[in-house]
Parts: sequence; structure tokens; C-alpha cells
Amino acid sequence: MKLLTIELKKILPYKTFWIIIGLYFLFLALGIIMAEYIVNAMVDDVNKRLPIPLPHAVLFYFPDIWQNLTFFAGIRFVLIFPAIVIIILITNEFVNKTVRQNIVNGMSRTEFIVSKLQVVFLLALVITVILLLVMFVLGIIHSDSQSMSMIFSGFSFVTGFFIQMLTYLCYAFFVAFILRNTGLAIALFTLYTIIIEPVIYFLLRAPFMWENTVYTYLPVNAVIRIVEYPSIPALKKLMNFQLQDSVSLLSCTIPLMYSAVMIGIVYWTFNRKDL
Amino acid sequence: METILSINNLSKRYGRIQAVNRLSLEVTKSQVFGILGPNGSGKTTTLGMVLDLIRPDSGSFQWFGKEPSKESRKRIGAVIETPNFFPYLSARRNLEIVAKVKNFDNSDIDRVLQLAGLYDRRNDKFKTYSFGMKQRLALASALLNKPDILILDEPTNGLDPQGIAQIRRLILQVAGEGITIILASHLLDEVQKICNHVAVLNKGNILFSGDVKEVLAVSDCIELASKDNVRLKAAIEDHPAFHSIVESEGILLAVFSEDVRPGDISEYLHEKNVTLSHLAERKRTLEQHFLELLKDNQS
Repeated sequence: MKLLTIELKKILPYKTFWIIIGLYFLFLALGIIMAEYIVNAMVDDVNKRLPIPLPHAVLFYFPDIWQNLTFFAGIRFVLIFPAIVIIILITNEFVNKTVRQNIVNGMSRTEFIVSKLQVVFLLALVITVILLLVMFVLGIIHSDSQSMSMIFSGFSFVTGFFIQMLTYLCYAFFVAFILRNTGLAIALFTLYTIIIEPVIYFLLRAPFMWENTVYTYLPVNAVIRIVEYPSIPALKKLMNFQLQDSVSLLSCTIPLMYSAVMIGIVYWTFNRKDL
Repeated sequence: METILSINNLSKRYGRIQAVNRLSLEVTKSQVFGILGPNGSGKTTTLGMVLDLIRPDSGSFQWFGKEPSKESRKRIGAVIETPNFFPYLSARRNLEIVAKVKNFDNSDIDRVLQLAGLYDRRNDKFKTYSFGMKQRLALASALLNKPDILILDEPTNGLDPQGIAQIRRLILQVAGEGITIILASHLLDEVQKICNHVAVLNKGNILFSGDVKEVLAVSDCIELASKDNVRLKAAIEDHPAFHSIVESEGILLAVFSEDVRPGDISEYLHEKNVTLSHLAERKRTLEQHFLELLKDNQS
């Protein structure tokens, strides 16, 4: 608890932290509103040619809301915000050289790593809990009695989202510790998530048609695929989406293994390098 | 004397440069120990190693007679190179973090802020401070809860004359309270004013070390010679301000514990019926030596 108290003293008065976390939830809300609007526009368009019209998409009823909101909260462009927060919080220590002062003042190097991992865990937990509360309230507002009875049937998506957030933040932790430079770490991390991995996917897929093999094992993709699809019945019909009934344990293992290796590398190098 | 820090054959190499070469030294309780050397002589690397920031290639060191640990570091107050704090936090909040790391409560924070003359600005963000204020905050942070030893690496570097005077006054005040101090500096004058022990460092090697008065003797070091050096030596040893004497190539080098002029010595020896064949005030020989070192280093 002592290490976490120290971290909170560093984080809570930090404006940049609140701004980026605020942006995360803002983009999430905008994304969901836009997604609903776009899906319904598509449904309206298709309905002109169908004798029996498809129903409008409602994202917010139980139990689908668990899957829908955790899906939107976990897409690349949104997930990157909390990761940037972690990168800034860790590289700040190197840029301001406060890591040296922490060590000189009597923190062990292992304690320093553990304190940052505690922040990673806490941030993933807090975001998951906030999302959970939002989903709960929205779900109650939008659900009828029949769907209310299925309230907990999609709960594995919430657990899956927590793993998704936790492991992605571990990647950010790794990049921050290795590069030690805020701008460089954010740029490379964003570039890798949004451009490099999709390009690798494209290159691997085009000649070999390896869709569900190699690409699945790339670190960021493995994270993204934990909650892979939203649950929107109209969309499934329109675009032949695969169904995802629950989060599989197997899909969580790959990102967890990556995270464990990365934490190991950080531990090994940080204990040997000069500060 | 209780040993605070003992360093045994510590070495560190950066590529082709041997930053610290089999360095050994010992700091005992209540010493104000100066590490004097030009830039790049290994001062910061040595301090970095004993503070666990830099991993030594070989050698060892002990704090308070024990193997170094995070607990021993909690008894050390250190100002290393630049003041390192969170720019967006106030002085007080920054010191609260330091206190928490060292397992102290917040009761001593106001005292050290007042000591450093920052109490009125305690709630302002660190980034709004001038460089002199930042340096004083670093010193305040190091003095939190009265450490057993204070380590200062170039504490007046980059400060204006007023800032230098403030920092030096603070250091002398702390030294007066009996806290052991290690001060690394490239300024001979600074070491002379503040320290009572010194080790002179160049290219990672200790050139000489000992009492500041002996090692950095200034005008109270006098060269003497006569036909009968034995009698001369005996006479000098009887002088009330006598400190020490060494003989080298027929010339006696005498150090006095207070300022004694060559004229006084001449008169004194005359009364003792000793006739001198040589008398000279040996001026700042080590400073000259030190300046040559600096020149060597720059070229």
C-alpha cells in the first residue's frame, strides 16, 4: 500500500492524466453514439429493399450491452488513450530524473517496478469498474423485464475487457521502461498499434490467406481479439459477422503470456542498467 | 571513529574510458569530506555507484559498516547533479513523496522548507522556481529528518554568486550540527572553505587525500633550509603554531596551524640562534598543481 500511496501522490494532482482519461471516455461515448447512428442508417437503407424490415439496433439492453460497450471500449483507437497515460506516467520519471531520486531516497529497483505495475493494475481496474457502472445504468434504462432476467449472462465480456485493458497497459509499461523517452515511446507505440500491425496482417494475409493463424499471435491483435465483435443482431445479418458468445480463456492466455515476458524483460534490464 | 562509508577498489569503465579506477576511500563520522577533481575525473560516477544508480564493474562499498541496501540509503540525504522533482507538483507535495519513500511522516517538511528559505513559496509548483530555488529545494529534501550523512554533488554549479553564498551558508550550518558531509566539487576554493578532509581525483584515480590543511596548504606552508637542518627542525617544532614538517632534498616544508608570515619565522629563528640559508613562502602549490590538472584535462 505504501508504494501505491506514493504513486497516487504523483498521479492525482497531474492535469495531463485527467485530460487523457477524460478524452478516453469522451471518444468512447462519441464512438458508441456514432456506431448506433451508422448501423441504423445502414438498416434503414437495406429496409427499403426488404419486405420484412430489420429492427433498429439498440446497443444498450441486457445482456448485449456487456459485449457492445466492452467491444467499443477496446477498439484500437480508443484503447490507446489509457496506454498513453501509462507511457507518460513512467517516462516522466526518466525525463524528470525522479526515478534516480526515488532510488537514492531508499526505494529498491524492484519496488519501483512493482509500484508502476500497481498503477497499471489499478488503472485497468478503475476503467473497468467505471465502464461496468455505466453499462449497468444504461442497461437498466433500456431493458425490459425479459432481458433483465439475462442480466449476467454476458458478464464474461467484462472480465475479458479487464484482461484486455490490463495486458495492453502492460505493453505500454514495457515500451515506456525500454525507451525512457515520452515522445518516442508514444509515437512508436501508436504507430505499432494503428499502422505496423495492420500492415503486417495485410502482408501476411494477402499471399498466404493465413487469416486466423499468424496474425492472431501478434501482441496487439491478440489483445484486440479478446472481445472481437459487438453483438448487434442487425449487423450480423447485414455483414455476416461471426458470433462470439463469450470470452474464451484461450484468447486471454496469449496477451497474458506476452505481458509476463515483457515484465520479465523490464525486471531484468532495469536491475542491471545504470540510471 | 565510526566509519560511515568505506569504498574498496571500486571501478567503472565506459567504453574506452576508465571513469573510476580501483578507487578506495573511507569517510568517518563528522567529517566534511571533499572530493575534488576536474570535470570528468570520476566524482559523479563514484557517488552514483555508492548511491546504487550506477552498477560498478568491480569493487565494493559499505555504508555504516554494512552491505549497501535500500535501508542504508534511507539514512542518506543526497543532492545529485540536477534537482530532480515533479515539475507540476508544489515543493511541499514533492517533499511529501520524499518523506513517504523514506518512511518519515510529514512533520519535518516545514522545518526544512524554512531552512532553505522556501516556506513562503511551498505551495507553488516546482516548475515556477528559479534554478537557485530548485537547488535549495534539493538540499531541503536531502536534509529531511536529519540524515546521518549528506552527499552533495556540485551543489553550487550553475548558481549566481548570491545563490552560491546561500547554499554554502546552509552547508556550513549543517556541518556545524555535526552531520557528516561528502561534497564533490571542481572548485578548489569551495572545498577549502567547506571541507576538513579531501581526496583529489583525476581520471578516476585518487592523487592524494587527507586533511584539507595539509593537502591544500596555502600560505601557511613555508620552505626552510639551513646548514644544520636538525637544529632548524627542532626549533620549528618548538614554535607555538607548529603543525607538521617534512624534509625533502635538503629543504624543510613546515605547516603551521595558523597564519604565520615568513618574517615572523625569521625573527623567531634568529632568537633561537638559527641562521637560515633559504626561506620562502610556498604559495598554493597544490592549487597550481590542480590548475595544471585542469589544463591537461581540457587539452
